[in-house]
Amino acid sequence: MIETLRPISAPPKRTVKISRSLKLSTFSVCLMFAAWIFVTSTGLANKLFLPPPADVWGAFVKASVKGYQGSTLFEHVTVSVARILAGFFLACLVGIPLGILMGVSKDARALLNPFIEFYRPLPPLGLYTLLVMWLGIGEESKLALLFLAGLPGIIISTIQAVESLDPIYERAALALGASKRDLLFHVYLPGAGPTILAGMRISLGFVYTVLVAAEIVAATAGIGWMIWDAAKFLLSDVVIMGLIVLGITGIGLDMILRAIGNALMPWMRKRSR
Amino acid sequence: MKKTVLGFAAVAMIAGTTAQAQDMPEEVTVGYLNLVNAQLVTKSLGLVQKHMPDVKINYIKVGGGGDMLRAIAADQIDFGGLGNPPTAIGVARGLPIQGTMVLNMLDFVEAMVVRTDAGIKSFADLEGKTLAAPFGSTTHYLLLQALADEGIDPASMKILDLRPNDIALAWSRGDIDAAWFWEPNLDKAVKDGGNIFMTSGIMEKRGYPTWDVGVVMNRFADAYPDYVEKFVAAECEGIDYWISNPAETAQIIATELELTLEDATRMMRGTEMVPCDVQLTAQYIGTSEARGGFVDTLEATTAFLVSQDRLPEAPSREIFETFLQPKYLEAAVSE
Repeated sequence: MIETLRPISAPPKRTVKISRSLKLSTFSVCLMFAAWIFVTSTGLANKLFLPPPADVWGAFVKASVKGYQGSTLFEHVTVSVARILAGFFLACLVGIPLGILMGVSKDARALLNPFIEFYRPLPPLGLYTLLVMWLGIGEESKLALLFLAGLPGIIISTIQAVESLDPIYERAALALGASKRDLLFHVYLPGAGPTILAGMRISLGFVYTVLVAAEIVAATAGIGWMIWDAAKFLLSDVVIMGLIVLGITGIGLDMILRAIGNALMPWMRKRSR
Repeated sequence: MKKTVLGFAAVAMIAGTTAQAQDMPEEVTVGYLNLVNAQLVTKSLGLVQKHMPDVKINYIKVGGGGDMLRAIAADQIDFGGLGNPPTAIGVARGLPIQGTMVLNMLDFVEAMVVRTDAGIKSFADLEGKTLAAPFGSTTHYLLLQALADEGIDPASMKILDLRPNDIALAWSRGDIDAAWFWEPNLDKAVKDGGNIFMTSGIMEKRGYPTWDVGVVMNRFADAYPDYVEKFVAAECEGIDYWISNPAETAQIIATELELTLEDATRMMRGTEMVPCDVQLTAQYIGTSEARGGFVDTLEATTAFLVSQDRLPEAPSREIFETFLQPKYLEAAVSE
């Protein structure tokens, strides 16, 4: 509903609106930093649990230049981002076709739903124990965990996307003599694209949430491993630095995902506002 | 229904007032390491409960030093146990804990197992192999120390951070060639195509003793010093029981860790219990007047961890001397 109402009033106000929210965001971030500096410099916070921003920055510089336990920060990030992207792409590769299938065919959904609904709420660490037993302590089990974390979000949003498509598009296409293949590439995918992309973004978030868990077992590099390892040695500055870096890479990947979406689906720009 | 609620309220009020009047904790949480020592005897015989009858005692099993440090940092336990490297880390990073007693001296209960068909005869043979040890623990420390003494670069092999039970799992899958960890999981690897290559006892003879020390949270020790003494007395009783009743102790260990009696007996021999009066001598904790050799070990361990870039800086000797508090042990022994 909102989508159809917006365009009428939006164009003239848009620039003002963005700068206002940008101001507010900047303000809240600055406030957070001010509070951080305040509680650490006045000794309100125990340095062991919350080191001052300067220490965290120091840990960042040290990890970037000298490295943390054999790898530089850049290498840790590269290893982790590679794992995340591999798990995420695998989840998309399997999840989107499966979701379309389950969205189009009620039988397919009935056949597959029990499994997806069953494993979706399982805690990743419980699942991981089994994955390590099956696949070992190498990359396979880590990738499998990231993949399984990302999969349900994509499948479910794809199902929803396909279901909520206006059937008039399908009928129109069929009336114009579209084949099943045409339906897939010219109706389902473009029509459901924006919702699928939203699902992909949520799913990327889920993949992120299990990264540390995936890198706890037998990793020797990776940002999640670095956080876990530093916690063992009570290096809270490294832990907080790692979390910030992890968060920034997450925002970066999400922005890339949105940019790709905008490029591939120009019609989405209007819809997603 | 109303009556029960009132009843509960009354009980709670009485409990609340007595706690105030007698200055005793309502409950005590003991984090104990999953290894073979007399804490299992103390736990199984309910000795802590015996020494503080009106307090609720909770036991939490902790996998290793790294997890114990986290439990301490999160204030989830009152009493814990730490090997010398985690102790060095905790004290250097300013955790609010103090050391009260020796839980055990580590001999072949901690050892490096190598896969028999991997052909590892010396430390140099480890090059290119995959090893595992729980990072931050006694065995990880000894592994790095041994490699440093042999002049071997740890980067020439793949050293993985795994918890003891994960090591046993990875071993059974054939994912690793060697591992330095401890009983009861160590035995699983030895029985599954492994043989012992190096023990923590041998490293002790080379000048690198490893041990576990009992710790108490400062918060608890400040509030209930006499209960720390009671706790130490209970653990001392467990140690005495271990020394004078080996057969019964083996039975207890076997039951607690679900082992055969034979395995339990062998594992017991791999760890040394120190009678509490001996703990007060110069080799161990020492006395309130003059601290013992544990301070030296903590200093050496910290220096090594700093050289490995695992700790930012080493604290002064006084910090370690303040950390070790023989007063509870002295009180418990003199009784």
